[in-house]
Amino acid sequence: MQPDYAIIGGGVVGLSVAWGLLKRGFRVLVLDGGDRTYRASRGNFGLIWVQSKGLNEPAYARWTRNSAAAWAGFAAELADATGMPLGLNQAGGFDYHLDEAALERRVAQYEGLKAALGGDYPFEVLGHNALKREEPNIGPRVAGAILHHGDGHVNPLRLLRALAGDVRRLGGEVRTGVEVIDVVHGDGFTLTLADGGTVRAARVVLSAGLGAMTLGPKLGFLAPVRPQRGQVLVTEKLPKLMNRPSGIIRQVDEGGVQIGDSNEEVGFDDGVTLETAAAIAARAVAVFPALERAQLVRSWAALRIMSPDGLPIYQKSPTMPGASLVTCHSGITLAAAHARFLPDWLEDTAEAPDLEVFREDRFAVS
Amino acid sequence: MTAADLVIIGAGPAGMAAARTAADAGLSVLLLDEQPRPGGQIYRDVERVAPVRGALLGEDYTAGLPLARGLDGDRITRVPGATVWSIENGTRVAWTAEGRVRQAAGRRLLLATGALERPMPLPGWTLHGVMTAGAGQILLKQSGIVSGNAVLVGAGPLLYLVAAQMARAGSPPRALVETQTPRDLSAAFRHGSGALRGWRLMLKGIGLLAELRRAGVPRHRAARSIAIEGTGRAEAVCFQSGGRRHRVTCDTVYLHHGVVPNTQASRAIGVEHRWNAGQHAFEPVTDADGRTSLRTVFAAGDGAGIGGAKAAELAGRVAALAIARDLGAIDDTALAAATRPLRHALARERAPRAFIDAAYPPFAEALLPADDTIICRCEEVTAGAIRGFARLGCLGPNQAKAFGRVGMGPCQGRSCGLTVSAILARENGRTPEETGYFRIRPPLKPVTLGELAALTAADENEIDRRR
Repeated sequence: MQPDYAIIGGGVVGLSVAWGLLKRGFRVLVLDGGDRTYRASRGNFGLIWVQSKGLNEPAYARWTRNSAAAWAGFAAELADATGMPLGLNQAGGFDYHLDEAALERRVAQYEGLKAALGGDYPFEVLGHNALKREEPNIGPRVAGAILHHGDGHVNPLRLLRALAGDVRRLGGEVRTGVEVIDVVHGDGFTLTLADGGTVRAARVVLSAGLGAMTLGPKLGFLAPVRPQRGQVLVTEKLPKLMNRPSGIIRQVDEGGVQIGDSNEEVGFDDGVTLETAAAIAARAVAVFPALERAQLVRSWAALRIMSPDGLPIYQKSPTMPGASLVTCHSGITLAAAHARFLPDWLEDTAEAPDLEVFREDRFAVS
Repeated sequence: MTAADLVIIGAGPAGMAAARTAADAGLSVLLLDEQPRPGGQIYRDVERVAPVRGALLGEDYTAGLPLARGLDGDRITRVPGATVWSIENGTRVAWTAEGRVRQAAGRRLLLATGALERPMPLPGWTLHGVMTAGAGQILLKQSGIVSGNAVLVGAGPLLYLVAAQMARAGSPPRALVETQTPRDLSAAFRHGSGALRGWRLMLKGIGLLAELRRAGVPRHRAARSIAIEGTGRAEAVCFQSGGRRHRVTCDTVYLHHGVVPNTQASRAIGVEHRWNAGQHAFEPVTDADGRTSLRTVFAAGDGAGIGGAKAAELAGRVAALAIARDLGAIDDTALAAATRPLRHALARERAPRAFIDAAYPPFAEALLPADDTIICRCEEVTAGAIRGFARLGCLGPNQAKAFGRVGMGPCQGRSCGLTVSAILARENGRTPEETGYFRIRPPLKPVTLGELAALTAADENEIDRRR
């Protein structure tokens, strides 16, 4: 039977949307790439991160917080269904600063956002000594940190696997190793695959990450996204070294300490570089000096899917009714929102979230 | 940062021969090797050991002496104990030696990284007392240590060699449990002419078997359903052979079913690889000179495809000459003159290879292990888990890695990579080439964060500002 939705892209974003739709009783087909496809879903840092999001767009801060708030229930339901705990921990997170002035600048930004959100933006500023009580292993060079109580982290690979398993369990069909190369609209959608096959569906969600750059325009989208490289290091498994995650360093549930992050505009190059690896290692050692003797066992790089303003894009096709573009660089943080709230937006129900500010015509040249 | 015309990784036969040849042609050579003394696996520590245990280890071992002695000279800089963990832009390498990180840039890079023993995941292979035959041989070579109560399991010339060396050392193995079948041997005779050309090698094999017979070592052929039993440590090897079940008690098990190219470095550089169906392994694609798909990077020796020590030495010389020509140290005429006899000798050395590969194939039960056998020792992932990931849509090992941590440990997938690819290929009905291999990234070997951080020029606040 023809699916109600064809989801193009089986990463965390596509699978989260698929899972949400399946829970609402829709028939869903997910079309996913192969082993060497660019996959932010297996290269990301695993944060469910509220702070620093939406400094210039309170609606994004709100959307992020709503997702973070929905995460516990989402994770519990997934873990229950798959028997695999996701390692979710949302006990707050730090933004470390080695430089007093940089910390003050950041605090001023947060105060501005807090005012824009009517005061509902809970964060604390911790000086070195206060921080030391929370994180006894920080080094002397740490000036302080911002503690945001809504922050947390999860094991993103377990999330990916749980979604891949549960989408199938719920009756979703997932085809891997396929590439959609064209889409035709008219009495539903006909998708042409690179292997020559075709697929039909009543509606289409384009959640193909960087794949939207080429496929988006065929569906009437601008899809103005670009790759931005981030490099990550991970150490051997270590005894507990830190209590909370931060944007640059976190201890994963398996024990390894994961270190990021870099933001590099290098196109589709997802290689790692010694220069950046050394720099982020140095910063991590400055924050937690005990890491100096830890063995680095892996490094990798992945490509973020960045829009011009860094915010997600939720857009319904102006030329092909029934086609929607869903793309963001915070697929983990927003997974709960995509699973819980996006089906209403796709179906235009009365409960649909207001995602007007995330339309892509904000980038159109007027 | 050190600069050299040629940076060579690995001081086995290929690396040692290439270093001498390149230096003779006038190139400056930087020879990085993980071991404290040159020789590689085959000629491990040959300068020190040959005078002590040369007779026991045999002529094939002492043949490495001239190569190791040939490394003296002005133009060769040797860095022993160097763990190379990063290679960037093809020719820029970083390594750790004596706790310090160093970097070098070469105009050309030669990978002479040799072979790894093919892991043999059988039920019980993770028990204490189980090791590869090669590891057993290292103990023998370096320290003269031999287990008095060992069973050898697997197939291939090395198995016979190690057994004979153990017998000469006064501790013959309890049994030789061989996995190759008479059918493998008859299939191998399709490559009969190659076998005839490699007659010396065959005679050597026959000589080793005669030695084992004299030592009274029982041989069990075409063994099946092999399992190592024991609680905590190996106590016995159980198997089916000759129409009945056997159980041989022991405290040590040496496993071996061939060697495969160590491609971690070539994979990390990202040069093209191909599946060698005859050898059941991936190898970097190289031309007749050993040049990879990246113009500045060469590969020679077993790391570029299994050929043995003599072939490795010759391939190392051929590559070094091509590099010397690349860099203008010799001209085309000199290159042709020097290379011609080497290529003839190389063809002779490689002739029996197809026969050996067919006569001693890897053990099928260990290529596609049973569901409950652990294949990734670092992260304790079973073969059954990999099959489960295939059902979740994993077409290749990188997806499987994300789904189940397989290959994420300190060994970087060195020991499970081929098995993961083989299982996924079988489950998905795809070829090994379509299935692919782990994407290998630095560090090739673990390095401390402190060592890595010491390389940074940027100060940390600079990065903060960029965020």
